[in-house]
Amino acid sequence: MGKKRILIIDDDVDFIDLNRAVLENSGFEVVTAFSGREGMDKVKFELPDLILLDLMMEKHDTGFSFAKAIKADPRYKDIPILMISSVAGETGYDFSQDLDGYWMKTDGFINKPVAPEELVKRINSLLEGAKKG
Amino acid sequence: MAETVNILVVDDEKGIREGCRRILIGEGYAVDVAENGKQALEMAKAKPYDLLLVDLMMPVMGGIELMEEVRQLDQEIIMIVITGFATVETAVEAMKHGAYDYIPKPFTPEQLVSVLNRGLERRRLSIEAEKLREERDQKLLEVASEKSKLHTIVNSMADGIIVINRERQLVLWNPALIKMLNLNVKLEPGKDIDEIIREKHLIEIINKAFSPDSSQYTVFSEEIELTGAESKILMVNVACVRDEQGRDLGVVSTFRDITGLKEVEEVKSQFVTMVAHELRAPLAAVEGYLTAYLTGVAGTDPQFNRQMLERARLRAQSLMELVNDLLQFARLESKKVARKKELLDMADIVINTVELMRQQGASKDLIFQLDIPEKLPLIEADRTEMEQLITNLVSNAIKYNVKNGKVIVSAIPNTHFLNIKVTDTGIGIEEESLPCIFDEFYRVQGPKTRYTTGTGLGLAIVKRIVESHFGLIEVESKVDKGTTFTVKLPLKEINKE
Repeated sequence: MGKKRILIIDDDVDFIDLNRAVLENSGFEVVTAFSGREGMDKVKFELPDLILLDLMMEKHDTGFSFAKAIKADPRYKDIPILMISSVAGETGYDFSQDLDGYWMKTDGFINKPVAPEELVKRINSLLEGAKKG
Repeated sequence: MAETVNILVVDDEKGIREGCRRILIGEGYAVDVAENGKQALEMAKAKPYDLLLVDLMMPVMGGIELMEEVRQLDQEIIMIVITGFATVETAVEAMKHGAYDYIPKPFTPEQLVSVLNRGLERRRLSIEAEKLREERDQKLLEVASEKSKLHTIVNSMADGIIVINRERQLVLWNPALIKMLNLNVKLEPGKDIDEIIREKHLIEIINKAFSPDSSQYTVFSEEIELTGAESKILMVNVACVRDEQGRDLGVVSTFRDITGLKEVEEVKSQFVTMVAHELRAPLAAVEGYLTAYLTGVAGTDPQFNRQMLERARLRAQSLMELVNDLLQFARLESKKVARKKELLDMADIVINTVELMRQQGASKDLIFQLDIPEKLPLIEADRTEMEQLITNLVSNAIKYNVKNGKVIVSAIPNTHFLNIKVTDTGIGIEEESLPCIFDEFYRVQGPKTRYTTGTGLGLAIVKRIVESHFGLIEVESKVDKGTTFTVKLPLKEINKE
């Protein structure tokens, strides 16, 4: 079995560059997109095994609508989505898979800033779950 | 009575006159005597008396006539008749003519003093009553004027006020209340409050002031939102008024429209959220790079690790810029009141600012071109703000330029404005983004601007500076051709030389 392919979608170039390095170093193949639109193309052509998705991009809810579109498409709905949100904490908003997953159409949440070990752990467990499912 | 009591004894019989005088002086009164009515009248005109002892039968002017004359002088004077004809008829006659009492001759000193004291007591009481009446009239006058004062004050208040009694009936209100609550019923004292105020929530608040468990607090405030044609938020202050026994007398409610304040608050808290978000992104990047560098989690390639540190430094620098811009922003806000304006030659400011920034364009080999006439008309402006304005515009012209591009700054005066144009030959701005570029924290997103750091506040600051100087700013842009910002600053005055 080849390397697992992770698609990172985020508008922060530093987040992408850093996590690309972290994930590549952990044995993943990484493709990137800077916007929802670009991300959709990458999903089609690169068929990632998992999508790491930023909640807030060009618009505050770009992440939501992107996740919704993926989960509504029978071809892609099984690709796990790990949503990264930076709105938690001091901004007063908080999300959790248990409370918000049913309408946010994602498979997991992780807060920015993301600890590299935690990120790799979460990705591995989602990939594990996807394989079983 | 503390003052000396003055008594005039009028009798044609010397024996009686003198007798009375002695008795009365012995009692501590001041006594004068007259032997007929005419003489007595002259004396009464010259000096006020408290009491007259009058014989009815006298030559020249009789007692009855005297009493009538004296009554004209003093309504309250006590007159006591001394009469030898102690008949009911004469007594009644004397009383009709204003006598207070009568003493039949002959009389004992005790009888005299007793009748006299009764008369004087009566005079004291009537004087007292008069005094009280005057005081009451004065008080009424004061109350009336206080009332009108109160009305004037209440009616000119910007806050709405409504006072109700314990039967929940209207007592007092002002025009601000009518406007604030949009009342279209006719208000009159005694009207039930439920007929006036339709908002149930508001009625509940007022009722709360009446409720028995409100004994601990007498004043409280609540915010209410009024929906309707125009929704507004009111701060309601409710105070229950109680008497000495603690019984409710009524409720005074005041209303303040805080819709505007709420809006400002909302904008402020949104701004804080945005700032927090803007601060967090670069901090997260710096922290992420440093963590990756220290733990080796991103691999051990020395070139990539060095690259990470360089990016971390760049993001830290942009964070610093952001903080500086935020401080500048705050300064602009607080400067609204006192801005240091002086007559400025913009040529100096433009030339010096561009000179300072030339170095920043070096990596792109940019060409700087200045088109500024020899002599520019002066404008009235704050020097540091003008420097900031040019710096921000030129900085953008450098940042969003292409290699070997051009930055052109020109100044062209016309009748009323000095037009300063900053033009670049850079990547341009898409039409759909143009309306947003002056918004706080807005940054054009795209592959070409991905590695450009910025705070998203530069143009927002420019716009504020221009507006605070009563100027205008315009932008024209074509993708891949470049962008031109035109700032129009009003001229101080048309040069008269």
